[in-house]
Amino acid sequence: MPNDRPLSIPVILGTTRKGRMSAHAARFMVGQIEGRNGVTTELIDISKLPMPIDDAGEGIKDPVFSEKMAMADGLVIVTPEYNHSFPGLLKHVLDSCLKEYIHKPAGIVGVSAGPFGGVRVIQDFLPVLRELGLVNIFWDVNFGNVGKVFDESGNLLDQAFVGRAGKFLNELIWMAKTLRHGRDNIALGS
Amino acid sequence: MSKQKNKMICPKCGDEMNHHADKLVYPTSAQEAEKMDLALGGVIDETHCCPGCGAVASRMAE
Repeated sequence: MPNDRPLSIPVILGTTRKGRMSAHAARFMVGQIEGRNGVTTELIDISKLPMPIDDAGEGIKDPVFSEKMAMADGLVIVTPEYNHSFPGLLKHVLDSCLKEYIHKPAGIVGVSAGPFGGVRVIQDFLPVLRELGLVNIFWDVNFGNVGKVFDESGNLLDQAFVGRAGKFLNELIWMAKTLRHGRDNIALGS
Repeated sequence: MSKQKNKMICPKCGDEMNHHADKLVYPTSAQEAEKMDLALGGVIDETHCCPGCGAVASRMAE
């Protein structure tokens, strides 16, 4: 059955830290997705989600976030690297859903103040995404030395990131289309 | 072939849904642990998708 709904690929800003430079990276990725035909996006800032910390997992599922994940065809997750890993609150948020993610692709955008561009957080993140049912793509975007990539207003200073984000999104969108076809049409075990 | 023949019906648009995944889910409470398949170490949650509107739903496998 053909499905002509536009693809939905939201961008999750995965940190609540004050002064977070990842916000610039997330807004940049939203802008790059907005330039793609047939794809809708929005920024989901985890600091704006009503996530209690006196429970965990699907027990704290927020219906609005759940609905956005359910209707998403792919995810861009922008995460800084904190002590070689991802922010705890990002995992707290992601753990609140499960069926919403299954057989959907996820691309990771790593952000670091130093030179490595979040390579360690990305490696650390992959098994978590896999267990959530997400399908990892093989392109990343690495914003190393992020303080030099964006100015204080969030303007991009290094245009090479346009091309890098383009390759990343080409793969993510291909995977989103392919996996949507599978979710919609191919029965398990058929 | 899908283990359950009875198709889920989309709660949003009423279309038949496609059973596209079985996910092993680990128990988080003693009650859930009672339902655990000891051979698998958890319970199987079927994931279904609506080809019409894209909604997702799940149910525990029989």
